[in-house]
Amino acid sequence: MHWLSKKRYKIGLLVPTLLVYSVYIVLPIVIAIYYSFTKYSGIGKPRFTGLKNYVRLFQDELFWSSFKNTMVMFILAFVLLLTLSFLIALLLNHKLKAVDFSKAMIFSPAIIAPIIVGIIWVYILDPNIGVINNVLDAIGADSLKQTWIGGEKLSPYSIAIIYFWQQLGYLVTIFIAGLKMIPGDVLEAVKIDGANAWQEIRYVTIPMMRTTISTVAVLIITGVFKIFEIVQQTTGGGPNHLSETLVTYSYAQTFSSSDYGYGMSLATVTFVISLIITAIYTTATRERKE
Amino acid sequence: MINKKKKTGMYVLMALITALVVFPFIWMLILSFKSNSEILSNPLSLPKAINFDNYKHALEVLDFPQLYGNTILVCVISLFIELVITFLSSFVISRMEFKNEKLRKLIYGFLIMGLSISPFILLFPVYKINVFFGLRGKWALILPYVSTSISFNTLLLVGYLKALPSEIDEAAIIDGCNLWDLMTKIILPMTKPVIATIVIFNVLYMWNEFPFASVMLREASDYTLAMGASFFKGTYTVDYGGIVASSVMIIIPELIFYGFFQKNIVEGMTAGAVKG
Amino acid sequence: MKAKKLKRIFGSMLVSVLSLSLLAGCGGSGEEAKKDESGAIIIKFGIHVANPKDQEPVTYKIVEAFNKANEGKYKVEFEAADTETHSKNMKLKAEDGTLPQIFWIEGSEATEYGEAGVLMDLTEFLDENADVKKALGGMEKAFKYDNGQYGLPYQCNVQGIFYNKELFDKAGVKYPTDDTTYEEFINMVKKLKESGVTPLAIGSKNSAYAMWEFNEFLARYGWEDNIENILSGKDNFNNKELAACFEKFQGMKDAKAFPENMATIEYFEAKQLFDEGSAAMFGTGQWDCAEFDENIGDKIGFWWGPKFTDTKAEQNVAMKVPSAPIGVSATVADNEDLKKGVYEFLKFYYGEEAAKLSYEGSIFPATSYEGVSAAESQYAMNEMLKSLESGWASPAAAPDLTVPSAVQEVLYDGIFGVLQGTYEPSEALDKMDAAVANSQ
Repeated sequence: MHWLSKKRYKIGLLVPTLLVYSVYIVLPIVIAIYYSFTKYSGIGKPRFTGLKNYVRLFQDELFWSSFKNTMVMFILAFVLLLTLSFLIALLLNHKLKAVDFSKAMIFSPAIIAPIIVGIIWVYILDPNIGVINNVLDAIGADSLKQTWIGGEKLSPYSIAIIYFWQQLGYLVTIFIAGLKMIPGDVLEAVKIDGANAWQEIRYVTIPMMRTTISTVAVLIITGVFKIFEIVQQTTGGGPNHLSETLVTYSYAQTFSSSDYGYGMSLATVTFVISLIITAIYTTATRERKE
Repeated sequence: MINKKKKTGMYVLMALITALVVFPFIWMLILSFKSNSEILSNPLSLPKAINFDNYKHALEVLDFPQLYGNTILVCVISLFIELVITFLSSFVISRMEFKNEKLRKLIYGFLIMGLSISPFILLFPVYKINVFFGLRGKWALILPYVSTSISFNTLLLVGYLKALPSEIDEAAIIDGCNLWDLMTKIILPMTKPVIATIVIFNVLYMWNEFPFASVMLREASDYTLAMGASFFKGTYTVDYGGIVASSVMIIIPELIFYGFFQKNIVEGMTAGAVKG
Repeated sequence: MKAKKLKRIFGSMLVSVLSLSLLAGCGGSGEEAKKDESGAIIIKFGIHVANPKDQEPVTYKIVEAFNKANEGKYKVEFEAADTETHSKNMKLKAEDGTLPQIFWIEGSEATEYGEAGVLMDLTEFLDENADVKKALGGMEKAFKYDNGQYGLPYQCNVQGIFYNKELFDKAGVKYPTDDTTYEEFINMVKKLKESGVTPLAIGSKNSAYAMWEFNEFLARYGWEDNIENILSGKDNFNNKELAACFEKFQGMKDAKAFPENMATIEYFEAKQLFDEGSAAMFGTGQWDCAEFDENIGDKIGFWWGPKFTDTKAEQNVAMKVPSAPIGVSATVADNEDLKKGVYEFLKFYYGEEAAKLSYEGSIFPATSYEGVSAAESQYAMNEMLKSLESGWASPAAAPDLTVPSAVQEVLYDGIFGVLQGTYEPSEALDKMDAAVANSQ
């Protein structure tokens, strides 16, 4: 490999990606960060205001409640998605009849238009007309009835569940692709050695899937910090911004309140938090490996 | 017959999970046969009669052949570009030698960083960049779509390519392969499963992408499928029936595409590809 | 070494692209008038719905009539997108100088557009067309700024509370009148609630679409007189008058006036509750008249809302106010042909024929012409006209449209926070004061 790894080869192969990426992703981020130091309505000229937006941000109760909601969703979604999508992928990796149909169906939530995800889930979770509370009523379990969405407490949990439902199919697909890569002879070998199913998963599948697992983990972490449409369509961030996530709150400030500058400072902070958590995760898992 | 018992258990589990997950989807199908006021006032009921009015109306309002045409065109071009460029760059990051390992990590981290960015932050700047390059209409969507896929593709491709044993390269070089042959004739065929996964995800992303499309597209003749729903939601009126019916017509081809790709391509090569 | 070089290449690349893109912001010179095959000059009309034919039928018909009357000369074409997208698009286009010649402007952003210098001053147009000015009868003043007339009202909004007479009869409650007080209103709510219906349908998931009836509340607590002082910092939102007003919102909450799931439903679902007869009242504007005629027919009634006794502010207030404006792009002034066409269209849009088309579609045009009115079967609209007969004055603009968008959002949040019990009245008002401070 050594003599093929010439510098100009490497540069030549990297440049197209780096170029597109720099112009269409990095440059916009730089511009967004610039706006985060200004007062700007989206029309006319931005006015430089220094750190004012950031000072305001850290004093903004709604920023902190959005942050809290996002973290609740993050923890819930991370635990549920990582474990369950892995287990379901293991299940669907068996040669079963109708397994392709099942895979496509599990994938279907990922492609339903957000506005419809909203309609459907509101009618499942709505405290008055929703399916869940009506079923609880019907079976006489009134005491379990909750304000699943629209109240002050449970909305982030409910949204995490919707996110789980929506993302499951994606992650199962990635896990299945990963499982397909484990050479069949390795598995046969451990079977001959008399390993049971649990041992097989614990000592063969998981170690061999390490890259896939960390890929999925990174996708979940970064994905949670982008949850947007589900919130927009189920609660609209309400009541009174109490179910807002960092992204929806910065969107609301940017566009509904026409406070582009403040919105971008929120967006920048969100971006940094997401980067930090991803970095923590990758460093932590890397150390464990070594 | 433990095995049989186990299999039955698996079937039950699979059916249960599928049913739970798919319930809202089925519900959407049911909704599409209900009138708008039925949807609004009694969303849980079964339709009084199966009627296709919503579908008829959706077909009247939306020019489906054109929407499909635009979407497929944008999809194909963007996919081609992004697959080529991210395959090349991921190959460098995962398999070529760097004197300075930190540089490799830096480039990788730099490219992955984009996963953390919410698309709406990019909207205004990207619009201005497109104006600067003179890109308009549906052509203005291609580079934003390519660029937003770079992080995801890099994450998947690098992860996969790293896992391929380095002996492959050495053997190929001894056989007299040059760099180009090594990439295209030896490594590329082995990456089909991950490329298939990337294709599925990116096609579906572009199929449903609304924020960029809504900001870049001006003329109805440029509209992509995701723009469809906005035709049914006005300021003071909403036609959920039309939204649901048009969505069903957009989703069904996606599901067929997913099923086909999953079965024939991802599964088709399985472990054999790596072994061989 | 490699790293350094790569970094350098990369850095210079980034810098050049960055500087280029900043330059790009300053494009946009005078424009050529575009023509269609027949030689007609094309005038673009940026509208806030994706499908004007179904979603803004009145405007669609007016444009059609104009195009027909000016065949071969002018042709107005829509540039259509849903409201949220439209607002974003117009901002972007304002920056690169490609605004459509005429476009709808979000009410709370009108001032920002006026100040940004991207709009054409329409003073000249009004001076040349005295009949239009007369027909507007002052409605245009909402968009007159120190330096010019930036925008004209797209339509005119009549806002208040519609009620279903049948449900009132069933509950044995008298219909509200011009003199019904807040205390009587609360009793009315309680009786309606007892009869098993939702007294007042509201969906607050998108609060900007649920606050029309509360403009009347604000107006009757002296909003118009105080707002300038508040915005300039001489007074606070948290003053005696508005505190009393917000306490009334709390009183409505305590009387259980609203659907229990108001936080998870939207304007559309709330309207459906009223349409199907499970809610007795619904606050909205004239745009819903046609829908009510269809669903409720002659059982519909209209009411401005309750009067208050604990304030000195004027209580005889109607709410016939200019809607969000339409503006004309400043670039139009650079092209005589185009300017003529735009003037021609505006003349038509604010003319008598367009007013007739408006009334037919149950929309109040911004203009008033004698003898142009609603047909007998337009029940909802006739109820509104009846309420307007009192001749009460209306504010120059709806209260919620007199504040910048950041404050407007907090105003909506404040009202709905109190209605849902998440805020105390004074807490909500304090937040509004904080928003004013932040917007400086």
